[in-house]
Amino acid sequence: MNAVLEATGLRKRFGSLVAVDGVSLHLAAGEVLAFLGPNGAGKTTTIKMLAGLLWPDGGQVQLLGQSPHQNPWALRHLGAVLEGNRNVYWRMTALENLVYFGVARGLRYQAAQRRARALLEQLELGAKSHTEVRHLSRGMQQKLSLAVALMHDPELLLLDEPTLGLDVESALRVESMVRELAQAGKAILLTTHQLEVAQRLASRIAIIQQGRIVLEGRTPELLGRFAGEHYLIETETPLSPAQLSHLRSLGLEGEGPPYVYHGDSDGLWRLLEALKPTPLKKVARAEVDLLEVFLKVVGRA
Amino acid sequence: MLDLFWVEFKRSWLYLRRYPSEFVGAVVSLSILFLLLFLGARFLAGPGADFGERTEALLVGFLLWTLTIFAYNSLSFGLSEEAQTGTLEQLFLTPYGPIPLFLLRNLAGLGTQLLMLGSIALVLMLLTGARLSFPPFVVLPILTVLIGSYGLGFAMASLALLFKRVQQILGISQFLLIFLLQVPLEGSGWLAKLGYFLPLAPGAHLARQMMSAGTGLDWGLLGLAFLNGLCYLGLGLLIFSRAVRAAKRRGLLFGY
Repeated sequence: MNAVLEATGLRKRFGSLVAVDGVSLHLAAGEVLAFLGPNGAGKTTTIKMLAGLLWPDGGQVQLLGQSPHQNPWALRHLGAVLEGNRNVYWRMTALENLVYFGVARGLRYQAAQRRARALLEQLELGAKSHTEVRHLSRGMQQKLSLAVALMHDPELLLLDEPTLGLDVESALRVESMVRELAQAGKAILLTTHQLEVAQRLASRIAIIQQGRIVLEGRTPELLGRFAGEHYLIETETPLSPAQLSHLRSLGLEGEGPPYVYHGDSDGLWRLLEALKPTPLKKVARAEVDLLEVFLKVVGRA
Repeated sequence: MLDLFWVEFKRSWLYLRRYPSEFVGAVVSLSILFLLLFLGARFLAGPGADFGERTEALLVGFLLWTLTIFAYNSLSFGLSEEAQTGTLEQLFLTPYGPIPLFLLRNLAGLGTQLLMLGSIALVLMLLTGARLSFPPFVVLPILTVLIGSYGLGFAMASLALLFKRVQQILGISQFLLIFLLQVPLEGSGWLAKLGYFLPLAPGAHLARQMMSAGTGLDWGLLGLAFLNGLCYLGLGLLIFSRAVRAAKRRGLLFGY
């Protein structure tokens, strides 16, 4: 798949502090990459380098093959929501902001007006088109920030904490928008401390710790890897004590239901053979959530 | 680029229309400032002093100073404010680049600034009884002063970009502009010779002569004034582009 974003070996140092140390990221169209890490790990520094706002000491950034550090028109491919809701002029209305930033991103005035109206409707902000931003709720401001980033229809979106401080309904709306945008082929790099949001949205995860990527991979594979060889087994009918005693000798654990089996798939098949003909309700690999993965990785690092 | 100019122009008018108190406040405070300077000068000169034509010269000098301050200050104040409110980074995401955007912003803001200047001129002419003649060609030397002021404004905006809080320096340096606008080019002293090379001085001298003494346009001096203005604009842009590079290298575009 063609890379929308290709960052290789990014390094940045502020005085004696190494903020980012050899970070490489790759993002293709339609992918959502959750870029996670504790505070001060180097997420924001990396994002600013990707957006051309901070020059790396080393490494390269390519947006659809163009470097934003050398060719400002490469920024035409990028939209960014940075620093939460602080991306718009508070003294201008929602519509005025969108038209202004649309033109500033390279759109013609008329096209910017059409696009702005369409986006406001899409984000359910149509009724607030002529309201000054300072009178909008935080959630509406956040949605407007997202609309600003989308005005010029960029291929890559950098979203720094897009759901921070939003109420449940607004957060879900932003979440579903991110999903729709990815389905429409946008490449999205998302940072968030809300790991359940990241788990729901991201097709890939990268965890940064002390300026280095310490874990990267596709979300289900990573979760699977950290879940290990744990299986949950549930039967339709209770197991007899004799049955249970035999199954325990084969590795079945727990007081059930559900019971837990810890072992490889050969062992699981032996266990299932021994369970015959007890009707099975569920056999599933035990799931781990992103929070557990994150804590394990960050704790270990 | 035309569309970008148009949205910048609309933005400056929207602010004016939506916050007229800021406009009125600026007109009132600058008019009071002039009156204080004017009355103070009369007080120092004694009760029998008659300023005569000097009132017109003072007023022309003051109005030029005001216009210069607008051109000089607006970018630095704008950058500090945008760094504070968080929109600065969004501006730097423009594919046009920050320098063309800020140049257009300066140009687009000129309309509201001229309106403010016209209002101040009207108020002060009514209050002091001074009468200014506005020969159409006076626009040209004023333009050279504006070009030079934008150059100085970009140089000062470089400091705003790197250090954010520059209000103190801005405030003090405005008085340096008075000196630059009042440098006399008449005579053969060293100051007159130096004046041709100082920012704003040739254009200001020419405008002053045309508006208060009613002399015609000296095309030779105008050419020199344009050259002077463009040189300082070029220098300002060069310093600003270096500051942008430094800010991007040191991570100074965000935070305040």
